[in-house]
Amino acid sequence: MTGKPPLLPDLSTLPDVAEIAQITTWLAEAGLASMDLSNAAGARLRLTVAPSPVTPPPAAPAPAETITATAPYFGHLALRHPLRAEPFAPLGATVRKGDTIALLTLDTLQVPVTAPADGIVAEILGQEGALVGYGAAILSIRP
Amino acid sequence: MSARRFDRVLIANRGEIALRIQRACRALGLETVAVHSEADAESRHVRQADIALCIGPAPAARSYLDAESLLLAARATGASAIHPGYGFLSENAAFADAVEDGGLTFIGPTGASIRMMGDKITAKRAMRDAGVPCVPGSDGPLPPEMDAIHAMAAQVGFPVIVKASGGGGGRGMRVVWNADELEQAVTLTAKEAQQAFGNPTLYLERFMQKPRHIEIQVLCDTHGTALWLGARDCSLQRRHQKVLEEAPAPGISPDIIADIGERCAQACRRIGYRGAGTFEFLYEDGIFAFIEMNTRVQVEHPITEATTGIDIVAAQLQIAQGEKLAIRQQDIATLGHAIECRINAEDPRTFMPSPGRITSWDLPGGPGIRIDTHVTAGYTVQPYYDSLIGKVIAHGATRQQAIARLRVALAEMQVQGVSTNIPLHQDILADPHFQQGGVDIHYLERWLAERATP
Repeated sequence: MTGKPPLLPDLSTLPDVAEIAQITTWLAEAGLASMDLSNAAGARLRLTVAPSPVTPPPAAPAPAETITATAPYFGHLALRHPLRAEPFAPLGATVRKGDTIALLTLDTLQVPVTAPADGIVAEILGQEGALVGYGAAILSIRP
Repeated sequence: MSARRFDRVLIANRGEIALRIQRACRALGLETVAVHSEADAESRHVRQADIALCIGPAPAARSYLDAESLLLAARATGASAIHPGYGFLSENAAFADAVEDGGLTFIGPTGASIRMMGDKITAKRAMRDAGVPCVPGSDGPLPPEMDAIHAMAAQVGFPVIVKASGGGGGRGMRVVWNADELEQAVTLTAKEAQQAFGNPTLYLERFMQKPRHIEIQVLCDTHGTALWLGARDCSLQRRHQKVLEEAPAPGISPDIIADIGERCAQACRRIGYRGAGTFEFLYEDGIFAFIEMNTRVQVEHPITEATTGIDIVAAQLQIAQGEKLAIRQQDIATLGHAIECRINAEDPRTFMPSPGRITSWDLPGGPGIRIDTHVTAGYTVQPYYDSLIGKVIAHGATRQQAIARLRVALAEMQVQGVSTNIPLHQDILADPHFQQGGVDIHYLERWLAERATP
């Protein structure tokens, strides 16, 4: 043995407060969360380092299951073409990115709402005939 | 009772003024339409409007400045009048015309009035013709004879500034402090003007060294009544932005204000002005010099509301309904003194904008304190628009009392999450020169420069 002091105290007795403080500092520096000390007599000491104030970034949210088509302008929502019986994109319909899925009407102006992705229409979010604002959710698509 | 011209008003603005307009509409039993950008969806007036409609993304060009969208939104929501507030499209003559051409009421003057006042040369000529004082000067090109120029300068009063007609942007001008320097200055400036602009024509004006910014609020109906509502002193400015305003203007006698006010009202009658408006002047050594007219409600209108007891925004709405003003000039008094501090989300020393979420927002109160703000705790100050987050207005029987109330109010106001210029206002209110009253338009910048150098 060298004359160096031991890295860890003799565990035949449990460490005193100053030694505990030193050990926790080592734990934190090593990036360890906790350690358990025990001796033959069955005495047990568990040290847990408090989480550092800089919390790790939360796990990225799970990828959205659906993509929402939003209004590119404001106007009265028409989910079907005025001259047709069938909606542009009824529930369950297959749409391709860029397809017209609804119209916004203002006076004589008609602004198409288009599908942001290929997929199946999962939910109709806008109400037929309602005045919807810019960015309003019209329907969702499951890619 | 005759039917109203409009029952539902589209508010084509945002922030504190949109809320101010909404309150005035409600007090008159009018419904409101809040059109807003995506960034303002959570704004207070939007949440409380009878109808709210998001008309575009955050950039003003695609929302608050998009005239076509605003007109379509008015039609879609059944609004038959548009209040433009201040800034954005409020002084856009083409927009005012388009609103009225579309059969709606524009709550403001006619497009023709806005156009006339928007052109500084036309505005100045019209005002001079109507008897509103402009900066004394040669009123045209200088004559070739030096004797005639001397006579003109003596009449205007030294110091004068000799300017090249073709000049601009600070070039081709020379300040002349006394008659001895005049001839040389004229010769040199003419020579430079010839070289720089290919035109040696000069004119001459009184040079105002340390003017104050004094403005007159007017209110005109469509039945020939034009009233002036007293003066405001808005001399505390930084980079031409007003910081703190007060009414009345300290140290200027009411008789002088009454004379200038009546001239402004007379000019309004003459040009058929309608609605609220403000004549802005530079004032020095008893001389008023017209700068421009603002053809809209102003940020600082509450201090005049405090001293006159007149609800200016409600009056705008009533005038637009075609109603006669119920007040007479002789009934309008100046009651006490009012001061407004514009509270901006900005660093009080560097003036850098400080957008972000306001986590804590404790407002002051007490006698004579009025707060105009669209902000509530949790509000996010957007980086897309100006940084005005509110106005604290104090009214007192005297200027001293107004200052005291304001100081208590600002000390009480607690804002967390963003930086504000409240400390700057506190320093201004504690400044002995400000307390004395009557500082000039360069004072604040000089004061800021001095305290920046240790």
